[in-house]
Amino acid sequence: MALLENSFEENVLTTKVDWLINWARLSSIWPMTFGLACCAIEMMAVGAAHHDIDRFGAGAFRATPRQADLMIVAGTVNFKMAERIKRLYDQMPSPKYVMAMGACATGGGPYYKYGYTVVKGVDRVVPVDVYIAGCPPRPEALLEGLMKLQEKIRNSSVIRKPARTA
Amino acid sequence: MDFQGIHDRLLANGAPGLLGVDEPRQPDPEDKKDKGRFGDAFVLVDPAHLAGFLQVCRDDEALNFEILADLTATDPAVDDENLWVNVALLSVKHRHRLAIKSLLPKAAPSLPSTTPVYRASQWHERECAEMFGITFEGHPDPRNILLPDDWLGHPLRKDYEFPKEYHGISCE
Repeated sequence: MALLENSFEENVLTTKVDWLINWARLSSIWPMTFGLACCAIEMMAVGAAHHDIDRFGAGAFRATPRQADLMIVAGTVNFKMAERIKRLYDQMPSPKYVMAMGACATGGGPYYKYGYTVVKGVDRVVPVDVYIAGCPPRPEALLEGLMKLQEKIRNSSVIRKPARTA
Repeated sequence: MDFQGIHDRLLANGAPGLLGVDEPRQPDPEDKKDKGRFGDAFVLVDPAHLAGFLQVCRDDEALNFEILADLTATDPAVDDENLWVNVALLSVKHRHRLAIKSLLPKAAPSLPSTTPVYRASQWHERECAEMFGITFEGHPDPRNILLPDDWLGHPLRKDYEFPKEYHGISCE
């Protein structure tokens, strides 16, 4: 950047395409309006004034998967619902992200042993980017998960090859 | 009216299928294995006449049970040969309740539907049907209510075996 900086007139900024695209993506992660159980209550609390998920640009809960970037699986996933979740996920446009919120969505939670209709983790149905622990997670935990997702997007690359780690 | 009064009234009305009474009792101090029985007093009713019995409970003026509060079933044990069908009735007018129990053999778990008497029992019977494998003859809409349509087995039976996979999703 140093070569380009200050070499244009005022009101022109220079940046990398990757940085710009990632910045745009991570600043407007629109979640889908989608709650399955008690975790959804915490998710609603995050959307309300006190915790205010809009600070992260992720407050626009869309009522259709076709406008959403993020699926927050907030609650217990049973087999009857799992097929619907898969279909909703398939309808979301790329790039799309999935958050498994709480113990149930992460791995079956308290229904792991005797829940005959409970899917033991939503990652058996759709790929998951961020897992949030808790039963249910506190609103702060969901915001932490959102920040983790933003970090993941920030480190992703559209045209540049990702830096190789030794 | 208390339980005894309701029972006497049912006897006086000749309620069909009334078999007897199942009342709670204290544990026997001599027998250490005896845990007694806690909870409500039930009237025992022949499942084949359950609908007619409920009709008397609903229409008799002194009983006047307007509300079917609950209809559910119990599988007491794997080696028990009966299922229980439990009904809870409530009269708002007279402020009394009644608990009804019908013993239904597991070999042929079938009884006439009670929906002609109480329409509230439709969903309850659908749930009983899928969870315990009980057939309610003459039910107007005998689909599954909670489970998927292609679910195998009856999950609340004590001998139920958990599925290994469902539509390609592993349950292990």
